[in-house]
Amino acid sequence: MRSLTALRMVVHDRASTAGALLGVVAIVFLVGQQLSILFGLLNYMSVLVDHSGADAWVMSADVRNADAGNLLSGRYLDRAIGLPEVEWAEPVLIGNGLFRTADGALESVRVVGLRRPRLAGGPWAFAEADERALLDLEAVTVDRLDRRKLGNPAIEGLTELGEQRVRVGAVTDGARGFQGTLVFAALDKVKEIARTPPGRYSAILVRFRPGADAAAALERLRALLPECSVLSTAELSRRTRRYYFTNTGIGGSFGFSTAIALLIGVVIISLTMYTSVLGRSRDFAVMRAMGGRRRDIAVVVLSEALLVAGAGLFLGFLMLAALLNATAGSAIPSHFPAVVPPLLAGGTLAVSLLGSLIALRVALKAEPASVFH
Amino acid sequence: MVSLRLEKIARDFSDGRQMRRVLLPTDLELQPGALTVLSGPSGSGKTTLLSIMGLVLRPSEGRLVLGDREVSALSDDEAAALRLQYYGFVFQQPMLIEGLTVAENILLALAVQGAPRPAGVKERIEVLLGKLGLGGVAFMQPRLLSGGMKQRASIARALIKNPAILLCDEPTSALDAESGRAVMDILKRIAVEEGRLVVVVSHDARVFPYADRLIKLENGAVVSDTREYYTEGKETAP
Repeated sequence: MRSLTALRMVVHDRASTAGALLGVVAIVFLVGQQLSILFGLLNYMSVLVDHSGADAWVMSADVRNADAGNLLSGRYLDRAIGLPEVEWAEPVLIGNGLFRTADGALESVRVVGLRRPRLAGGPWAFAEADERALLDLEAVTVDRLDRRKLGNPAIEGLTELGEQRVRVGAVTDGARGFQGTLVFAALDKVKEIARTPPGRYSAILVRFRPGADAAAALERLRALLPECSVLSTAELSRRTRRYYFTNTGIGGSFGFSTAIALLIGVVIISLTMYTSVLGRSRDFAVMRAMGGRRRDIAVVVLSEALLVAGAGLFLGFLMLAALLNATAGSAIPSHFPAVVPPLLAGGTLAVSLLGSLIALRVALKAEPASVFH
Repeated sequence: MVSLRLEKIARDFSDGRQMRRVLLPTDLELQPGALTVLSGPSGSGKTTLLSIMGLVLRPSEGRLVLGDREVSALSDDEAAALRLQYYGFVFQQPMLIEGLTVAENILLALAVQGAPRPAGVKERIEVLLGKLGLGGVAFMQPRLLSGGMKQRASIARALIKNPAILLCDEPTSALDAESGRAVMDILKRIAVEEGRLVVVVSHDARVFPYADRLIKLENGAVVSDTREYYTEGKETAP
């Protein structure tokens, strides 16, 4: 009956319920949207590492992130291949280049060179054509989302990249990096574009044989290449994300905006619930006079908060899903891992209950004697 | 049915600077089966006395005995449990909770501590409302009822628990003459025919003819306590 009373109060007090609902929706939607962009950016930060298909990365010593390694000697590649646990090892060369657009302008891009024919570390999703296009020395990929910026180059269209003739062989789908537009090409072409010394690579990707003990293999690789950073793919991904998160201000910026969204939500919930309970203080005094204990009043007020939070969560997630759906496939970075919705829902519930504490305090002050006046 | 005994009950209030005694030591014994009216001018202490009788206010001094149990210094939860078990209240305003239907308001009096809904309670509410002349209003919102109907609904809320004690604070003051008479008729019947202890606080002279016992207070003290106040329209000595 106490929960039913709470439900009836919530339904009856439409104005305050709408206000509190707005607070909950604001939390879910604003925080959810912020988190989706944050996770989208986090994905961009380590996109090459996460989609490399390798078990380990070999980079220059003391590397802090996947984008900041020095060039490696090709002899490490031969040493790595020599390990019995290694199924394959492939070099990757990453550099910068200027892409000439259709109108003659130049756009800065990040070029990723892949060794043929395996093309390890290459693009993973295509909008037009596929990775086989990169078997051609002149072929490069452009991403669907960067196509406009690059002057809408057509498939098979010729252009210039780093003063080298290239041909658009395939269009990738969402293969974008944190540092900008990614263009994949053959390793030898990238050497020319980035003008790197011969026999030098940005990283060596290593895949262990099926059934090999990955941890032990990693240790052996480290012992074999003491001058290099040998990291599992997961560790390099974490390290890269952590680096950008803590060194670019992204963490602080998102933390701040998330805190503001939470604060706005809590204030709205607090004020509206406070007003609602203030208007109901006579009812709570009547309930106390009829035999209700303070905890019975608390059950009613907290049930109200939970009901509003439940409805707000539903509405907020609905709006968030609509937003994520609308921005999916757009240039806006957006990713919502499965672990986030339950955490966001739990956090919102906790914040809603926090917001109801002032109202609860008022409700608990309702004295049964006050009804006799 | 239980009796209520007040032994030297007094109550002080603080105005922030000093204590003020609003109820002087009072001895009273109230028995079931009678309608007692507490009367007196504003500030005479009648509401304070009623609040102490109803276990919503602790006395500063004296003993309050419900049946054979002293209840002067109960904890909040103990007092709430006794109010739930023994007491029904009718307030000056009906104080029905908006948003709940009439039936839900009545049911809340039974289940305010979260007890499960008793079997057959829906029928009991319908019967009770019918007895009070409120047939067909069970599922209406209180705002749709007239003042008199609301007050009768609040009586139904007080009676659904079959309380041994019914305390009413100015139950007719917000009603027109006809509705006031109807309410007093009901209270009188509840006291006499159902053998409950009914106390009505009122300074409305129209209520006095219903009193089996009329207690007058002035300046926090009982100044008269008359039984069979009206017999065939004539005042008799206590």
